[in-house]
Amino acid sequence: MIYMFCFYYELKKNDCMEKEFLKTIHGNQQIIYKVCRMYRDNKEDQEDLFQEIVYQLWKSYPTFKGESKVSSWLYRIALNTSIAVYRKANPIIDNYAEFPENMHPLEEVAVSENEERLFSALRKLNNAEKAVISLYLEDFNYQEIAEITGLSESNVGVKLNRIKNKLKILINE
Amino acid sequence: MELTELKSAWQHVNISEKSVTDLQKMTKIANLPSIKKIRTKLIAEVIGLTLFSFIYYDWFDGDQKPLYANLLLLSSLLLYICNDIAGYMAVVRPVNGNNLKISIQSYLVRIKRLSVFSSVISFLYGISLIVFFTSVINFTQEKQLILVGIIIFLLTMIFSSISLWKKWIKSLKRQIKEFSIDD
Repeated sequence: MIYMFCFYYELKKNDCMEKEFLKTIHGNQQIIYKVCRMYRDNKEDQEDLFQEIVYQLWKSYPTFKGESKVSSWLYRIALNTSIAVYRKANPIIDNYAEFPENMHPLEEVAVSENEERLFSALRKLNNAEKAVISLYLEDFNYQEIAEITGLSESNVGVKLNRIKNKLKILINE
Repeated sequence: MELTELKSAWQHVNISEKSVTDLQKMTKIANLPSIKKIRTKLIAEVIGLTLFSFIYYDWFDGDQKPLYANLLLLSSLLLYICNDIAGYMAVVRPVNGNNLKISIQSYLVRIKRLSVFSSVISFLYGISLIVFFTSVINFTQEKQLILVGIIIFLLTMIFSSISLWKKWIKSLKRQIKEFSIDD
């Protein structure tokens, strides 16, 4: 009887945790979306990565104790998954307009010119640079960026200056 | 575009919002496209090898083969299955650390270890099959040539697998290097 109770209690607890998790992810899904768009060139790959990230977030959710900001945790797992997951190299395609309209039956969203120029430039950076600049653009301070990436605060500063200069050139290309 | 414009563009990106139901589906491993392939391969291999371990004795005259050949085949089969499962566990959890650098470094260590085990165990498995099927054969020149052919095929498979592992390891090493300040 006691085992039945424990089993029921665990099920309820898991159910409760899942609801809480889904609420958190639903409210912060733009972070995952941006990371996917930055790390993958086409919508199909972005969609696959999105699913991969949500799964990894769910797996690491029990260890998220709420000591750090939700956005820090989300970025750490999302960036980590994007960098570590192995995939075959695809040719880099920067212009979304080149895709046939019926290639991706996913919902299309209006993309502003600035937004497209930004992501086009970001995709040309290396993976570590993408991680650092995305955190900076999200308004994380140097200490937070250092904690998420594993770089020292001074290295974050040096790297950021280099990336900003690189990005300026890439955007105005 | 100035940096403030970049920040604004980043922070106000238009997204196609996913529903809670869609997100819930993504928490299930069965719905993951990349892991699905690895899982299907794992399940097929485990079922196939387990079945083989049950039928090989009757179908391939295990009783007429020496004990060492039987033991070698069974132990390499078992090792192969264990390695498959360990590999699956390592690959599906790339996140393991408090920050990106540590996590990728730890993933690299796991993948390196896995690559060594996988290559050695695959080689052992191939050798154990050859030993099992040739242990009571009287070799003629023709049979020797076939055996050489099989060994060459086995080595080619192992080398192509090693080169795939190397590519993955190289990619992870590059990621770690990118986090160094001198890069």
